[in-house]
Amino acid sequence: MLGKLMKYEWKATWKFLCIANLMIVVMTIIADVTVKLDFFAYDSDSMLQFIAMMVMMTYVLSMFAMVIGVAIFLVYRFYTSTYSDQGYLLHTLPVDKHHIIIAKVLVSALWIILCEAVMYLSVVVLIASNGELVETITDSMETIISLAIAENVQLKGLAMVMTLIALLFNLFAKLLKVTACISLGQLSANHKLLFSVLYYFGIYVVQKIFSGFYFVFTVAMIRKDNYEMELYGWESMLVSGIIYSVVFYLITWYVMDKKLNLE
Amino acid sequence: MAPIVQCMGLTKTYGRKIALNQIYLNLERSRIIGLLGPNGSGKTTLIKIMNGLLKPTAGDVLINGQRPGIDTKFRISYLPERTYLNPGMKVIEVVQYFQDFYPDFRMDRAYDMLSRLQIQPNERLKNLSKGTKEKVQLILVMSRDADLYILDEPIAGVDPASRDYILHTIVSNYNRNASILLSTHLISDVENILDEVVFIKYGSIVLQAGAEQIRQNEHKSIDRFFREVFAC
Repeated sequence: MLGKLMKYEWKATWKFLCIANLMIVVMTIIADVTVKLDFFAYDSDSMLQFIAMMVMMTYVLSMFAMVIGVAIFLVYRFYTSTYSDQGYLLHTLPVDKHHIIIAKVLVSALWIILCEAVMYLSVVVLIASNGELVETITDSMETIISLAIAENVQLKGLAMVMTLIALLFNLFAKLLKVTACISLGQLSANHKLLFSVLYYFGIYVVQKIFSGFYFVFTVAMIRKDNYEMELYGWESMLVSGIIYSVVFYLITWYVMDKKLNLE
Repeated sequence: MAPIVQCMGLTKTYGRKIALNQIYLNLERSRIIGLLGPNGSGKTTLIKIMNGLLKPTAGDVLINGQRPGIDTKFRISYLPERTYLNPGMKVIEVVQYFQDFYPDFRMDRAYDMLSRLQIQPNERLKNLSKGTKEKVQLILVMSRDADLYILDEPIAGVDPASRDYILHTIVSNYNRNASILLSTHLISDVENILDEVVFIKYGSIVLQAGAEQIRQNEHKSIDRFFREVFAC
């Protein structure tokens, strides 16, 4: 059933997210043309330079719109499909609640990674706008290869992989924090969305307090024992990502399975 | 065989408000049962608990001898009192959705009913009228070979002509070995198809009896009797 849930989750989300990505592609092409035509070389009070500035500003704004729009869309999608009228269908399907959560989080994570990849490529294209794209990519590849054959090849390769895994768990933790807060908000009799937002900020504050304690503890350890450790290396990122993912996952599952309250 | 539904001291409270109060209820198989009560009497709360959409404050409910869960959801076909389909989906897509998740779903039956109602499979749900959307939902629910059909106010929001079609659809399409629990406050429209009635008032069961038994003992229709029992 997990595969089917993911299929329908993908079907329900692909249109909006493809349009958002298409918008970035179109804006990248327009901005790329603007840079290539060198509109900025004209007089500062010329219309062409004004147009160029407007294009670049729209490009930057479209990037922000993409980030905010995708986040709002995914949160809204989770809420409507899980705890509003559509939840009546979802929660009467003969499927495991674990599968529901996993399907939603995996599809959302996949979309976020795709959107971020599109944004990253867009910036690369603009940086290499004057026909230097191939060189930019080649340079990047050479850098990566030179890193791989460097002295601490194993450590650097491992660190790179572990950093990617840590980033992935942090993404899961962020998504699951949202699902946990929306789920907790459903426990209240009234103003469920308001309580979801309050839970989000409450958990955010608690997380900040924890990271503050961690910072103080680590600095103290480094000073006391002269430890060779990084304050914000992949290790701490991975551990916090896993812990938060597990905690938020369990909260979401507990509310969905044991305390469901579709009024 | 054990009853299809067993409620044992089922209680649900919202803060201080008691929605269901110590309900003991057995529903037998192969029966069409009317769950009748005025608005706010606890009908929908009871139905939601049976479907696992609400958790009881106390007591227990068993469907086919099991607590609400994955196994009972395979056996219950549930029509809520609201539109629960994604409005962006086409009719053909929601039919496929049901086919994917419910092994007892009969696609041929669904398309037969859709064609008789001249509902186009490629139409998006958001383009359909409220009444047509309700009919699509009913078709999906009645196209399953379930053990228990739970229909929450299936005729509340539709015109009298459509009510006849809906009741006809229910009676002519359900699995004959199954039971139907039909919740409504529009008694006169449904009383002719009922085998049994359950009256619920202020979250308590006030009567459970055969439909014919009430007519014979009280010498009046169920609708008339309901109006007396629930007179304000």
